[in-house]
Amino acid sequence: MATNHPETELIPYLRGELSADERARVGTHLEGCAQCRATADASSAILSNLARVVDDVREPDWAAYRGELKRKLRAAQTRKADVRGRWRWRRDDVRLPDFGWPSIAISTAAVAVLAIALVMHRGPAGMQAPGVDQLELQQELSSANVDLLANYHVVEHLDLLENYDVIEHLDELGPEDRQNHETPS
Amino acid sequence: MEPSDEELCKRIAARDADAFDLMVDRHQGRAYRLASSILGNEADARDVSQDAFIRLYESAGRFDGRSRFSTWFYRILVNLCIDHQRKNRWWRRLAPLATPGGGDDPDERAFDPPSGEAGPETEAMLKQSIGRLRPALEKLSPQQRAAVLLQTQEGFTSREIGEVLKCSEATARVHVHRGIAQLRKILGND
Repeated sequence: MATNHPETELIPYLRGELSADERARVGTHLEGCAQCRATADASSAILSNLARVVDDVREPDWAAYRGELKRKLRAAQTRKADVRGRWRWRRDDVRLPDFGWPSIAISTAAVAVLAIALVMHRGPAGMQAPGVDQLELQQELSSANVDLLANYHVVEHLDLLENYDVIEHLDELGPEDRQNHETPS
Repeated sequence: MEPSDEELCKRIAARDADAFDLMVDRHQGRAYRLASSILGNEADARDVSQDAFIRLYESAGRFDGRSRFSTWFYRILVNLCIDHQRKNRWWRRLAPLATPGGGDDPDERAFDPPSGEAGPETEAMLKQSIGRLRPALEKLSPQQRAAVLLQTQEGFTSREIGEVLKCSEATARVHVHRGIAQLRKILGND
């Protein structure tokens, strides 16, 4: 029978994070599971060594650290103020001519009317007349489809795997060939 | 009585420079050490922890007090560390993890004696073990490393780690479990 090892609960168990019920369940499991006990011991050793890694970090000169932080903070604030100032300057710098907003509104409306007129003149994209090249291509495709349709009764009687050649040269079939293929073998 | 972190944060939001100084003074050591452990580089740890304090100054007004201040602040710090690592991933492949002792061989790196109690043999073994931990930590994913270090160095619970990493408590437990399992494997304890 497969055993459910409480793998993700071992470290919370070691650190005393589990509720009383969880703790009792994991504890009972540990008593009977040598594999989990070994994992818990190894994890415990690593956890205590990890706590020592932090002791090993060499601390900087805190006065210099704080001085540098203040300079960076001032620089960040100056940058922000500059950005705000630049936007304000741009707003002030863009001065409208004396005729002001009404003329801009009229111009915008005129451009919009022109754009609408242009679209209506050309028609919606899906209804545009095709170009000469497109027309020729469409005609070719249509005629090919008509040929296939005319020979549909032949195709109906074909075994696809055996008559691949026939399908490939369907448009070249003469009336006699059609007769042959229409008659089931 | 010393003001709480939450009170200081409110004052910082009102642009109280003294409150900011006090907050930096209170958290600089832990922030720097955690960043250094996650990033494995003292210069980066200095920059990133200072950036975290600048973010704290700029966004103190957004701290809503629903979680502990330390959880909120360490979320800023850990996110900056993870971002920094992502940005510098290509470079870190070329440059090995910096350690106080210098050299590439983990066993040769210099460490301060961990305690005066241990005998020379135990001390050497411990030194060696810790020396191997640093490069092993480097092999963990940023989330695993942050989760493991928040737990061992900051004493965060799984729920708090989940708040910092913006994941559930169960996911935080999985990050820690996988991180430690990976370390066991690398260090040959598995």
